[in-house]
Formats: sequence, structure tokens, C-alpha cells
Amino acid sequence: MASVFATAGAAETGRLSSDQLSKAAKSDSISIPTPGELFAALGKSGKTNWAGQYRGPIPATYRNRAQIALNLGGLIADGFIAVEAKDGQQVKNIGSDIIKLAKALGVSEKLLARGNSINEFAEHSEWDTVQEELEATENEVKSSMQTHADQDLVILVTLGGWIRGTQVVTAAIMQDYNEDSAKVLRQPALVRFMQSKINEISPELRGEPLVKNVSEQLGEIEKLVSFPSGKAPTVDDVRKVNKSVGKAITEIESKDLPK
Amino acid sequence: MKRCLPFIVWFLVLGTNITVRAETDAEVNARKDALDVAGAFSNDGFKIRDGHWCGVVKPHEHALVAVNLYVGNQYWFSVGATEPVKQIAVSVYDETGKQVTTENYDNGDKAAAGFSPANSGQYVVSVDVVEGGEGSFCLVYSYK
Repeated sequence: MASVFATAGAAETGRLSSDQLSKAAKSDSISIPTPGELFAALGKSGKTNWAGQYRGPIPATYRNRAQIALNLGGLIADGFIAVEAKDGQQVKNIGSDIIKLAKALGVSEKLLARGNSINEFAEHSEWDTVQEELEATENEVKSSMQTHADQDLVILVTLGGWIRGTQVVTAAIMQDYNEDSAKVLRQPALVRFMQSKINEISPELRGEPLVKNVSEQLGEIEKLVSFPSGKAPTVDDVRKVNKSVGKAITEIESKDLPK
Repeated sequence: MKRCLPFIVWFLVLGTNITVRAETDAEVNARKDALDVAGAFSNDGFKIRDGHWCGVVKPHEHALVAVNLYVGNQYWFSVGATEPVKQIAVSVYDETGKQVTTENYDNGDKAAAGFSPANSGQYVVSVDVVEGGEGSFCLVYSYK
């Protein structure tokens, strides 16, 4: 690769002004990393017990659309965990749950075929392709939501995935703490961006107790992941993030919606 | 996996995306070029993110997009552009606005910049016309 892509020299030292930085475009499809990117980074600093991060099945019978969207995002993150664990059966189980929840949102027309291909690739242990299919599934769900005028739900899918991914990563770091792995948790701008996207959704959806609670918790989480650049969070810092995202996941999963 | 690559690139070009604005033909072509560049990195184990950012870039103006990256990963940002852009460039800046050192690939209307972030957090990718006129571009990125 290096021979093909010969370095044309390091780029010249330049600067962007704070005004230019603030005006940089942001979009869900490129500014928010996938759970797979987060897990890939964590995997660099040691062996992670991915199977140890599984959770029990979540209900597939939610009625609240915001709650379904948040859980759908969480399930997609679970799919990425199963890929990291290279666990074909778990991939299939989660794929099936994703389709059930997507059906509840009326966005499943093309997903059955996608689910079948995920199963097939998992059976053949083609994990990179399974991961690509999972990403494509997430984007297909979001695309379908936009087609069905449900675009306010898109950020909730993303948010649900990020919260579940962060829960898993913080739990894994706590089990085998090292500074390098803990540094992946620094993402204040990302949390701020998701918060800003939530502020753009309809007042009705934003006012729903679950969305309101998760949004409020996001404000707290932003503070917890705002470590100074270059400084690794301590194990206690990691524990605080884990506790906070764990609280959010408990509410998102619960059949008893907050009043 | 490598056998699947042409299919995956084709799928990423024609498949779903969550961009609300309809893309122009020029942007679709630019995306195909960007994916061609990114596809080469796949042979080194880089995964192409199923997302993209397309638009129009003018000479002497930066087209800037924010990305959130993780320390520990390596990234390549690949861009394709269409006529009248003759030469395009990609550069990356950290959250303070300081340009980071990148490994660069430049080939006329295709370019890429790769680096390993020193810190997790927000970075800004800049797409610039080095030679030519205003034209469409598309950016994709890969990680491992």
C-alpha cells in the first residue's frame, strides 16, 4: 500500500480559525462514528471479552416509537459486539430482534433480505462483511424513517447505539483498566452534536418523558466525557460514565415508561 | 473478503444513504471516485464507513466537515471530484484548528489523507481545490 500511496509529503502546517471550525458541516452519516469504530479502537489496547458484554434479550413489544428507535440503535450496537466476539448465533439472534423492532416502526420491507444476508455471512464467518451489512442495515432503517416522515427518530437510533456502545466499552475498560483504552472515551463534541440534534426534533417528541430524561442525562454524560486532551480518565472517571449510561439504558429498556 | 470488494463498492455507491438532499450526477460520480480510492485501503484492512459527505467546492475556499475519531484507530479520508476541478487536496485539523500531519495521496481529482489521531475527539477535514474551477466532490472515510 505504501508504494501505491506514496506520501506526497506531510501537509503544510496550517490553522483554521475558531470561526471556520464552528462552521464546519456536521452530519449524522459522517460526523457520528459507528459502534464498530469505537469497538475497533478499544480492541487495539488489549484483548476484550466481548462475549462477556452481552445482555439479556430486550422486549420486542414496545409501543412508544421513540423507545423503539432508541432500542433499535442499542440492538445494532449489540450486533457489532457479536461481530467482535465472532459469534454467529448471537449475530443471528440480534438480527432477528432488529427486524422485529424495525417492523414495529414499519420500516422492515427491505430488512428481511438484509437479515438473511447477515445470517449467511455470519455462517461463513465473514465478519468484516457482517459488520458492513450491519452498518448498511442501520442506514437503511434511517433512510426508511426519513421516507416515512419519521426523521425525528433517526437521531434516537444513533443515540441509542452510542449509549449502548459506551456502556459496553466502559464496562470492558473497568474490567481491565489501562490508560490507552480509557482515552477512547473522550468525545465531548460528539455528545454535544447529538444533544443539538435532539434539540431540533419536534417539541412533542422532545417532550416525551423518556426522550426528555435521556436528553437530560446526555447533558450529564457530556461533562463526564470532557477530559482534557491527552489526559486519560481514571478508573473512577470510567465508572462514572458507565453508571450514567447504564442508567439511561435501564430507562430505555424498561417497559415502564417514565411519567 | 477481497472478492466481495467490487460488490461492496457498488453497493455503497448505489445503496442506501441517509442524506436528505438528492445528489447530483456529478456528486454520484465523485463518490464513485472516492470509493475507488478508499477501496485500495481496504486491501490493508481498512473498513469503509457506510456514509459520505458530498457538495460543491470552490477555489480558495475550504469545504469543512467535522468528524469524531478515536485514538487507537487509523483513518484515511478519501475524496473524488469532478470537472472542472483538476486537482483536489484533503487535510485534517484538530479541535484547536491546528493542522495535523497526514500521509497524503494525490492524483489529480482524487486525493486522500491518512493519520492516527493522538487524542479521541473532534477533528475537521478540509477539502480544497488546488487547481481548476468550482466543482462537485465527495468524501468517504475508512478506519482500522
